[in-house]
Amino acid sequence: MTSHSDLPKDADHRLEELTHGFFTSDLSVNEFLLVKETGFHPLGFVMGSSIYHTGIQGRRWSKSQELSKLTEAMYNARELAMTRMEEEADELGADGVVGVRLDVNYYEWGSDAAEFIALGTAVKAEDGNSYRNKLGKPFTSDLSGQDFWTIMQTGYVPQGLVMGTCVYHIAHRGLGQTLGSVGQNVELPNFTQALYEARELAMTRMQDEGNLLGATGIVGVRLEEKSHQWGSHTIEFLSIGTAVTKTGDDVTLPRPTVIISLDN
Amino acid sequence: MSGPSDVPEAAPRRRESGSFSSGLTVPDFAACLQMGLRPVGLVQGFCAMQWGWYGAGSPYMRGVSPYASAGGSQGGYSQSWRCPHGMVSPDHRAWGQNYEQTWVEAAWLQGFGSAYGRLIEEAKEVGAHGVIGVVDTSHNLADMNVAEFHILGTAVVVEGAPPPPHGDPWSTYLAGQRLAKLIEAGFMPISVIAAIASVRVWAYCVTEYLMEGRVGYAWGQMGSSTQEIEQISEGHLAARSLAREHARAQLGSDTLHGISISATEREVGAGDQVLECMLRGTRVRRFKDFDPMPPPRPTVRLS
Repeated sequence: MTSHSDLPKDADHRLEELTHGFFTSDLSVNEFLLVKETGFHPLGFVMGSSIYHTGIQGRRWSKSQELSKLTEAMYNARELAMTRMEEEADELGADGVVGVRLDVNYYEWGSDAAEFIALGTAVKAEDGNSYRNKLGKPFTSDLSGQDFWTIMQTGYVPQGLVMGTCVYHIAHRGLGQTLGSVGQNVELPNFTQALYEARELAMTRMQDEGNLLGATGIVGVRLEEKSHQWGSHTIEFLSIGTAVTKTGDDVTLPRPTVIISLDN
Repeated sequence: MSGPSDVPEAAPRRRESGSFSSGLTVPDFAACLQMGLRPVGLVQGFCAMQWGWYGAGSPYMRGVSPYASAGGSQGGYSQSWRCPHGMVSPDHRAWGQNYEQTWVEAAWLQGFGSAYGRLIEEAKEVGAHGVIGVVDTSHNLADMNVAEFHILGTAVVVEGAPPPPHGDPWSTYLAGQRLAKLIEAGFMPISVIAAIASVRVWAYCVTEYLMEGRVGYAWGQMGSSTQEIEQISEGHLAARSLAREHARAQLGSDTLHGISISATEREVGAGDQVLECMLRGTRVRRFKDFDPMPPPRPTVRLS
């Protein structure tokens, strides 16, 4: 992989084919119709991948703490996959990528190595206006075709899929601590504080990314928790959502139509 | 945690970042804007609790005192069964009891209440009128006897309304069009309501035999291979009834909307079960007359 482009040679060949009007997309037929209705045209299915060695980090048995090296690794790996997907979209001259999925796969052949993969459909506005984000890159979003149509109706435009992560080690409880509270159901303030802090850190980092894009807000935020292959005491808190910006136009949303389905 | 603020240090830093975050789906977000609600932030509350099943009502206390322990001394629902066989044997369960585990309910209420209090505190900090799309979860943390309670929702401001008074923001499990329909029907959400009932079942001989399918041994209740297991039925009925009572106690003169009720049973040991019933809903109050909706348009799907 070269420094100016991270994409493999085969990607160039595939993308070259897509620039002649032929497109691929993983949108369903309904999503395709709605994306067209919004005034966008799918250009091609784009992806980015990164195989990352996440390694291990020392942790103290009885101390709850952030494992910053793992946090950094999990973040960088996703960021690399996303950047490569953006590069593919950029080569197609896209305004954005919709329906982005961000997955982590573990394989038997690589211990502590994980493949981070980002997939989505690159789209371009048919009216010739640019919908690229503040950084001049195609926007990314995990919105479905239906969600993309709806968000555009509200006067907000997507800026980017933003995320924050925090890998946290949860302390083991010593025998003394456990025995000290046998028979009681009481709050454990240290645990509360540690996990609360971990989630807040993940969310803060996600919002920082949104602010870099000049976003008004982030919609569809999900807060995921996974232990991956680290055992139950080490948890990754991942916060992810689509950053959106309000356009200048004031939008009056139509009152929804009330329907009754005559189907079964 | 104690002191003036129960939320961690990172929480204010997140709220100061300027942009809003929302856990709403895009359709719910659009419905929220259509109703004149502006999302101001994703808010959350959290509480980790030591969670033990020992102490009062421990299975290890079986046989110490058939009727005085646990339920009887802790208050709440309690019901006993006596062996009809007149047998005396250490292996024969001569007595059985269902009782409400009030200490488990109290601990759950403390965990849920602390997490909810922190969610509301975060919502107040961002100047919200209300919190919509509330989701609450509780599960065991790692492999320890620690239960974590986590509640999150999207704080909203009512466009054009004066700043919220000093009172707590309202909250609801509803979001999107379900909330819009509630408001059109003339009701405002007041708060989420969650109630739990926990009933312990210590089987007596008849229950034990019936649960094992040894019908012939359940003397005095013979005659049919399919019959009700009275002690278990009573336990389930009591759990549901207690959950409703606990919810009703939080309602005042308001109404509970959109109730969901779920029941679980967990076997602690042979013939020893915990039945739990969880009830959730939104406490609502009428604030205007019902706005008649336009007549629905009939539709037929072609797919």
